[in-house]
Amino acid sequence: MVTLQINGQAHTIDAPDDMPLLWALRDIVGLTGTKFGCGIAQCGACTVHVDGKAVRSCMLPVGAIGNRAITTIEAVGDTPNGAKIQKAWLDIEVVQCGYCQSGQIMSATALLNRTPNPDDSDIDAAMAGNICRCGTYVRIRQAIKNAAKSA
Amino acid sequence: MSKKNFGIAIAVIAVVAAGIGAWMVMIPGPTAFASGSTVALADYKDANPTGVPKEMENASLIARGEYLTHAADCVACHTAKNGGQPFAGGLAFNLPNIGTIYSTNITPDKETGIGNYTDAQFLAALHQGKRADGQNLYPAMSYTSYTYMTEADALAIKAYLFSLPAVHAPAKQNKLSSPFDNRSLMGIWNAFYNADERFRPNTAQSAEWNRGAYLAEAMGHCSECHTPRNLAFAMNNRKKFAGALTAGWRAYNITADQKAGLGAWSDNDIATFLSTGHADGHGGAGGPMGEASDNSLTFLTAGDIRALVVYLRSVPAQDSDLPRTVNTPAPVSHREGVTAGLDSRGEKIFAGACASCHDWTGVSPVSKYATLTGARAVNDPSATNVAQTIIAGVDRTTVNGKIFMPAFGTAYSDDEIADVANYVTARFGAKGAQLTAKDIASLRKQVAQQ
Repeated sequence: MVTLQINGQAHTIDAPDDMPLLWALRDIVGLTGTKFGCGIAQCGACTVHVDGKAVRSCMLPVGAIGNRAITTIEAVGDTPNGAKIQKAWLDIEVVQCGYCQSGQIMSATALLNRTPNPDDSDIDAAMAGNICRCGTYVRIRQAIKNAAKSA
Repeated sequence: MSKKNFGIAIAVIAVVAAGIGAWMVMIPGPTAFASGSTVALADYKDANPTGVPKEMENASLIARGEYLTHAADCVACHTAKNGGQPFAGGLAFNLPNIGTIYSTNITPDKETGIGNYTDAQFLAALHQGKRADGQNLYPAMSYTSYTYMTEADALAIKAYLFSLPAVHAPAKQNKLSSPFDNRSLMGIWNAFYNADERFRPNTAQSAEWNRGAYLAEAMGHCSECHTPRNLAFAMNNRKKFAGALTAGWRAYNITADQKAGLGAWSDNDIATFLSTGHADGHGGAGGPMGEASDNSLTFLTAGDIRALVVYLRSVPAQDSDLPRTVNTPAPVSHREGVTAGLDSRGEKIFAGACASCHDWTGVSPVSKYATLTGARAVNDPSATNVAQTIIAGVDRTTVNGKIFMPAFGTAYSDDEIADVANYVTARFGAKGAQLTAKDIASLRKQVAQQ
């Protein structure tokens, strides 16, 4: 049994220590907003926050998390930067198919948590691991800048 | 030059040549660095340094053989890559300018394995490097280490191997250039470089040290990778455990050297690294050492690991040219640190493919096994193991669960792999590497499994 702090709630789940967090989130806890993409930390679709930092949940074993706070796409809008990013995303209609966007929003929010006014280079360094096959990168970059400027 | 001077010159050259020759062949034994004198095992009064640990003394012959087979790590070389059947052979050893040797099938299959080996033939293979038909083995098979193994332990290993299912797997044809394709020449090499003697305990050293020496030399054959070789490819014990390049990977300095050896490691660090293939602050084992940990060392009892630590600690420091390991994480921002301002392809690849697990600091948010800070590999300016890890990835089954990193060897070109390896060593290590695409091509060739 493993106890995880997910979106402010403690969840005790029956899972082996080496189960990736993504599996636990989607299949056991039922939080399916976080997506499975590649399974090898190369696409970013599964990004969640652990203590406010972006982490690929497909490679993070549940046994390695301990008491650290996990935030998923379902609750990131309750954080100040998460709310700003989501609003900015909607304002300029970033999303096309949407499959990668949970991960994009989680990575973008983590970027603002660390760097309140990111420039292009900061955005590239933080977002390069989040792949979007629709090619929404231009709008992602704009939305991050808009969110940083918004009050 | 007068006739007399000419004669003197010739004589001097002859003496020097003889001296170099003697220096090359008269190599001290693997434990000769230790003070004190050795005795035959039968005359040693302290706890028996050979066999299985005390808690397994009453186990069956096959169970004891299994423990010793793990300790000798036979499976490492006698199993082909990419899903080869355990012990069925087929692993390629690519030796630059010599050719390729394949490991053989040591399952009890009568036709293609060792099913027909008598005890005496098995012992001859381990102690003298002779196969059943009397032909010489090549020292890719580490019989110059196994020669120190007791008969009882060798035969326990045989009993275990013979308890396994027979696998029909014909040997692959070695591809060796002349004169190396002539096995009989190995007889001359053996006369110089195979001691063909059993382990002799050292009475001036503790029982624990002697156990560690037996495990390291006769069983685990650490020297085969960690001790540099001389021009004749024999282990040069004058530089014992000073580190060497083996099969395209760097085996690091494991002497007491403070800078690049184990001098700055605690006993607990060494023990944890051996048994789990990772120690906090020192990074994780990759490549062949990761395999040695997962296939062999992790099965040893805590007492045996302690004995290995005691023995390793006693090996005199050998200086190596590696810089001092950097133990502080890189800055959080990609703009800071020694790679700042480098808007290179290496940084771009790192941002896309690596940063999500390894972080810009080098301290992984995902797994301690993925932390780069303090790891030998990123502190080695040759970046050999960094490049090999990028090419081959990591797929380990450790005592702490699966450790996985994707293999990027087919996803990125040689240029790209060189760039990212150079970037990683510059950002997280002591000194950036200067690898080129040509170097990467060469590293790929050395580990190729065709």
